[in-house]
Amino acid sequence: MPDFSSLMSHGVFHLLAGLITLVSVLVVVSKHPVKSAVFLVVDLFLLAAVYASLESHFVAAIQVLVYAGAVVVLFLFVIMLLNLQPDQLRGMRFNPVEAVTLIVSVIGMLIMLGVSMSGKPTGLGDGSMDVNAIEAAGGNTYMIAMKLLTDYIWPFELASILILLAIVAAVVIAKKDKKPVVS
Amino acid sequence: MVPVEFYFMLACVIFTLGLFGALFRRNIIMVLMSIELMLNAVNLVFVAAGRSIGNLDGQIMVLFVITVAACEAAVGLAMVIALFRKYGTVNTDILRLLRG
Repeated sequence: MPDFSSLMSHGVFHLLAGLITLVSVLVVVSKHPVKSAVFLVVDLFLLAAVYASLESHFVAAIQVLVYAGAVVVLFLFVIMLLNLQPDQLRGMRFNPVEAVTLIVSVIGMLIMLGVSMSGKPTGLGDGSMDVNAIEAAGGNTYMIAMKLLTDYIWPFELASILILLAIVAAVVIAKKDKKPVVS
Repeated sequence: MVPVEFYFMLACVIFTLGLFGALFRRNIIMVLMSIELMLNAVNLVFVAAGRSIGNLDGQIMVLFVITVAACEAAVGLAMVIALFRKYGTVNTDILRLLRG
């Protein structure tokens, strides 16, 4: 018989998974983009809860701060800035080529899922960073900081350059054209 | 502990929904939001797999994915604003210059 904490974590996971699926459907099918963005916030919070249940506390915090806090607010700003009229919000388009794309992608994902369920993952990692080892070494956030500022220092610095480029690019692209547009 | 395959299944469901939205929605802002959904599915796989094999690199990769996603959202939305200013629409049936 499974112990209580295992039952609890299963229950929490299934509750979160059901909610995430439901909210993701609502994100995709909602007619108005503002509704979709609000559901996306809920979705990202629920995913942060899943990360927290996986003992990835730093990623959960960043998920809430950056995704739910910054990216979705940016989406909401743009949606409200554009002020779309109802006739521009017509829902879906069905196109046979894209339907085939979706079906092939789903088949590929099912194959990957089948492969991943057919055995234990091998060849990756030495298992030296399981939950107990991380706790003993100073906690999840501390260990991520140590790795990020030693092994991953160059990707980390490159990420800052990428963000700078994205800021400049966003300003330049969204800037008003001075000269009249010939179309 | 919940088996890692359950997390993979959840990620597949989220990714499929995001792909569905990215392919079939007409509003270009909705397409960008669906792409965020797909990136989140990938993040979930990274975190769950990293936890299951006892490795922190997955979580660090998630941080980089989040960085790239934030940049992508900023540049993508700037492009949406520029397109809306020029064509007065965000409908992907009308904005089909690259569709061939």
